This record gives sequence, C-alpha cells and structure tokens, in this order.
Amino acid sequence: MSPDLPGPAGRHLLPLLTDIGHLRQMTLADWDGTLRVARQARLLGVIAHRIDAEPALLAAVPGAVRGHLRSSINFAAHRRQMVDIELADLEAALPAGMTVVLLKGAAYIAQGLDFACGRMPNDVDLLVARRDLDAAERALAAAGWEADKTDAYEQRYYREWSHELPPMRVPGHALEVDLHHTIAPVTSRTRADDDLLEQGLQALAGSRFHVLAPADQVIHAVIHLFQDSEMSGRLRDLVDIDGLIRRHIHGEADWRALHERARRHRADGLLWFALHYCHRWLGTPLPDSGEHGRRPSPPARMLMDLLMRHACLPLVSDAGEAPIRRLARGVGQLRYHWLRMPPALLARHLCHKGLSRLLPRGE
Amino acid sequence: MSVLPSSNPASPVPVAAALRSGGLWIDYGACVARVRTPIAALADQLGLLYHAYPLAQQRDFADYHVSVDYGRGLRRHLRPTCRFAIDGVEPFEPFPVDNALPMFEWGVNWCFAQRGNQFVLLHAGVLARAGRAVVMAATPGSGKSTLTAAMMARGFRLLSDEFGVLDPATGELRAMLKPVALKNRSIDVIREFSADAVIGPVFRGTRKGDVAHLAPDLASAATVTQNARPALVIFPRFIDGSGLELKPQPPEQAFSRLAFNSFNYALLGQVSFDAVADVAAGCPAYELRYGRLDEAIRCIADLLADAPGEPDVA
Repeated sequence: MSPDLPGPAGRHLLPLLTDIGHLRQMTLADWDGTLRVARQARLLGVIAHRIDAEPALLAAVPGAVRGHLRSSINFAAHRRQMVDIELADLEAALPAGMTVVLLKGAAYIAQGLDFACGRMPNDVDLLVARRDLDAAERALAAAGWEADKTDAYEQRYYREWSHELPPMRVPGHALEVDLHHTIAPVTSRTRADDDLLEQGLQALAGSRFHVLAPADQVIHAVIHLFQDSEMSGRLRDLVDIDGLIRRHIHGEADWRALHERARRHRADGLLWFALHYCHRWLGTPLPDSGEHGRRPSPPARMLMDLLMRHACLPLVSDAGEAPIRRLARGVGQLRYHWLRMPPALLARHLCHKGLSRLLPRGE
Repeated sequence: MSVLPSSNPASPVPVAAALRSGGLWIDYGACVARVRTPIAALADQLGLLYHAYPLAQQRDFADYHVSVDYGRGLRRHLRPTCRFAIDGVEPFEPFPVDNALPMFEWGVNWCFAQRGNQFVLLHAGVLARAGRAVVMAATPGSGKSTLTAAMMARGFRLLSDEFGVLDPATGELRAMLKPVALKNRSIDVIREFSADAVIGPVFRGTRKGDVAHLAPDLASAATVTQNARPALVIFPRFIDGSGLELKPQPPEQAFSRLAFNSFNYALLGQVSFDAVADVAAGCPAYELRYGRLDEAIRCIADLLADAPGEPDVA
C-alpha cells in the first residue's frame, strides 16, 4: 500500500477497497470527499455492497452516508435486473448452436461473482468467433437491435480495425450490446491468441452462454485497462482485476499458469503493471515467489505511474482540473491511440477525425 | 429584490460571501447541498428565498456539492451564460445568466432525482399538521403548486412541493423543502392570496413559462429535519369557477395514481411497491376538484383532522 497517493481516493477509497473495515477510522468529513470520488469512479455500489454485508460495519457508518449507500445498492439492483432482462432477450435472439461468450460485467454477474455485487454495467459485452460474427449480427438485427452509429467511416473503422461492432441497442432498452470477435483491437500491439481463448471456454450452467477461462478473464481485464483504455477514471477496472485474481488465482500452479497464458497472449508486460498496482493499491495477494512477469523498462514504468496516479485515480476538485491531471489525461489519450493503431493508420484516423470536426455535420 | 431580510435568527450567515468562497450549506431536510457561485444576482435571490433556512458556512458533510458558474469562452462577454455543475458533471446546456436561479433550482432537483434512490420519490406536494401529512399528487398543470403555496400561507407546514420523499425503511415522509416554483397565473394568485408571501423575481419565458419562486416560511424551515407520517392522500384539480367536489378513491386507485406518478417507482421495484402500497392502504384518498383556494384548504384541513392516526403532542 503506498500511503502517498493524493486526495480522498488515496487516503480512504483505496484503503476501503483493500479492507472495508477501514471505515471504522473514518469521520463524517472523511466520507464527504470519499463519496464524491467513489461515485466518480463508479465504485460506490461496490463499496456499499461490501459494507451492507457486514451489519456491524454498516452500524458504524454515519446516518447521512448510509442513505447514499442504500441509494447505490438500489440503483445497482435495478442495473442488474436490466442486465438479466437483456441477457434473456439475447438468449432468445441468438442462433441456437452458436457459441456466445459473455465478457466483463455481464460475465461477472452471470457467474455470480461476489466482487461484482454493486457494479453498474452500462452495456452487455458478447464475444463470438469471427466466423460467426455476421450471423450473430444478422440475428440481432432481425430481433430489433439497431446500430447506434450510422456514419460510414465509423462503420468501416469498427468493422476493419476494431475488435467489436458498433454498439447496438433495442430502442427503449436501457443497455447497449457490444458484439466482439476478439478481445483486443485487430490492429493493436497486443493481440490475444484467439485459438487459446476458444480452447479455454467454459459453459455457464443453466445458460446458453459461455465465459472465458478464469486466467483469460484476468488477462482480458488487464488488456482492457492497460491497453484498450485511456486510463482516465478507470479505477473500477483495476478493482475488477483484483476481484478476479482473489477469486480465481490461488497457489503457485495457478500463478504459473496465469503467467504462461499471459505470455501466449503477448500480455505479460501489461500483466506486470496490473499486478504491481493491484498489490500496491488494493493489497491483492501475490505469489510467494514474488514473480510479477516481464518487468517493463524504467521509462515505461514512470509513464504508467503518471497515468495511474493522475488519470486513473479519481479526484474531485472544486478548483477544476489541475495541470498535471490534464497532462496525464492527454498522455493517456495519445498512448491509447498509439497502442491501438499502427502509425500509418493512426495518421489517417486522426486526419479523418480532424477534418470531420472542421466540416459541418451531415456531409 | 435588493433588500434582504437581515434579521434572520436561523442563519446569521453572510450569504453572498459564503457563496463566493467556501460555499453555503443549505439543509433541505432529505439532503444537504453545498452551493458555490460567483454570480452576485443569484446570491441576492438565494438570500431572499432561503432566508428562513438553517444555513451554514461550514459543515462536515454535504450530500451534493454544486456550483453555478459563468459560462466559458469568448461568448461569455457577448451573451453571458451560466452553467450548473455537480462534482464536475454539467447535466444541462448553459442558461442565460439572468436565469441562474431557475437553473439552480432545477439542478438541485436533478441531483436529488438522480441520486436519492434510497427514497421513493413521489411526484407530490406534502404538507403537515402536528406530524400528520397530506400527500398531494397531481399531474403538471392541475394547480398542485398553487394549492401547496396557499396551504402554507394558511399555517400548514410545508415539507415539499415537487418531491414527496417516502422513506421505505420507516414509512415516513422526509422534507425536501425548496422554494415553491409558481408558474404563470399562479404567481399573482398567491400574491393576492397572502400579503406575507415572499416571492422572488419573475423569470419570463422559461421552458415552463413564467416562473417565480415562493420562499418557505420560518415554521416550515425550522422543522426541516423532522419527518411526518402519511395520513391523507389528495389528488387536487383546479377548475375555474367550479364548486367543491370530493370523490373518494379506492386504495387500488390511489396506489396506481401515486406509483405511476413517481420519479423512481420502476427503478426501486419491490421496495417502492411495498412503500406505496402501505400509504394507499393506510390513508384515506380523495380526488378534490375546486375553484376557490380557501374552500379547498378548509376541506383538506377537515379531512386531515378526521383521518385515522394520532397527532403529535405539540
């Protein structure tokens, strides 16, 4: 645990996520800032559930704070119901016999993982084999799902260079559906091994859906945060990784298997970062051998430290965004695009985006 | 508009200075907001409308940290705008700076409607006598706010005009005491009805027409943290020139009219079903058509006195 992290996130939110009993040391004034950053990071529901599970701790929370906890528990229950409804509709719409994998939030919910209680998914992420992508898309379109983005460039961008189709939604439904055919953009530096993913799939009992192998769930969450995001405000993704490791990875054999799999998915460098910050920020238990995987270079570690401290870690400031945070956010955006696309494609993409911002809409 | 009630025993707080610097903590009952704004005209208006509230310059905790700031960029000098923010989130497009007060009031409503899901948020006015509350639910345009304002002027304690805040844990109603937004004709109706009414400036041509805000009275503000028990449900409807007409509503009818006129009924599912069903089963309910305010208020006072349940000992 590093005690020098700034603001209520460093002083209270991370300690709470590490050990919910930390709240016994918190005053009402401590809660004031902590609720703000927890909500900004979309982690209030998770914290509320952990407190609610222990009546003695709940009783130690000031009354004014308990209302916020209850409110987010109620809201998360509603979101969860929306996920269940969406999954039931998808189950009916997708072709029987096609292997469909749940990713991220929907997968955690469907597996009943307790670390995901109180999580508030915005969308349902599905993975199908590339050979099944067109059939899956046709089936969803026939059942009423519509693509949000109709712009020809966006369609082409998603289809040729991304790892998912443009988000789809049934008009009136609360949640979007993201249909993936792999877990990292096809143009990006790190490409997961699709065959390995497919071999590891596990059927969900009592459901038509599958989930990734436990180690692949960890690696997907790692790729999602450390390669496929701009890092800003994404502490929740680190909490996901922490929860998956605590749940799935026990003992030296599990750790060795995780590292081996990360190497084969070419994500061993990213895994080092994930384990480093999970351990330091959230107290995630690491193997006795102390092996973290492939250690990145010192400059890469300095860069990541900037991103984690000043972009990933939530901060609510009445004075607006501090220069260091604006810098970190900008660096996070640059890095995201750099990792996602080869230079020629990146240049082309930025040209298109720049021009389309200058030209009036509807061109 | 310029003269503020300076002799407020509840809050010897320099309102404008607090709003400009560390913030002004306003206790609405069901929530506390910490408000900051550099806009002097808004500070004047808040000083007038919130004169009776328990205000503070510093508290350990606020449920919502909000601000109303000037708009950004060069346009600020051509056509000044203002923007409402909570923790860096701006839920609305900027308003003209002259409409800062309606924007602030809608902003606080937005925060509460988004984040107050520990409560069932009925779309209802709530007033009380001796701890027993009448819940007045109605669709917009039925004169609910006018009747609410008039009842406060005749000595009812006002808990809320917009949100009926039902606590599912206790079955009690919390106050969400805000200035009553009077619209169009009802502004003059209330001016004539009560010489003591403290009413802010009229904002013409907002998305809800002309709007002016009525300040809650001292008795309502002083008891803002006290809950009330639901005792009576009224569905009011103003009809110009109409006599008094009272139509009892069976509980299942009252239930559906309360539930389906709520901000978060569907979101709360079972929680709100049980809480609203308890109100519908425990309180007599009437549809009340009226043409004269005093007649309606007398009728409601009598119904409340006759409704089951013990009044609080004063």
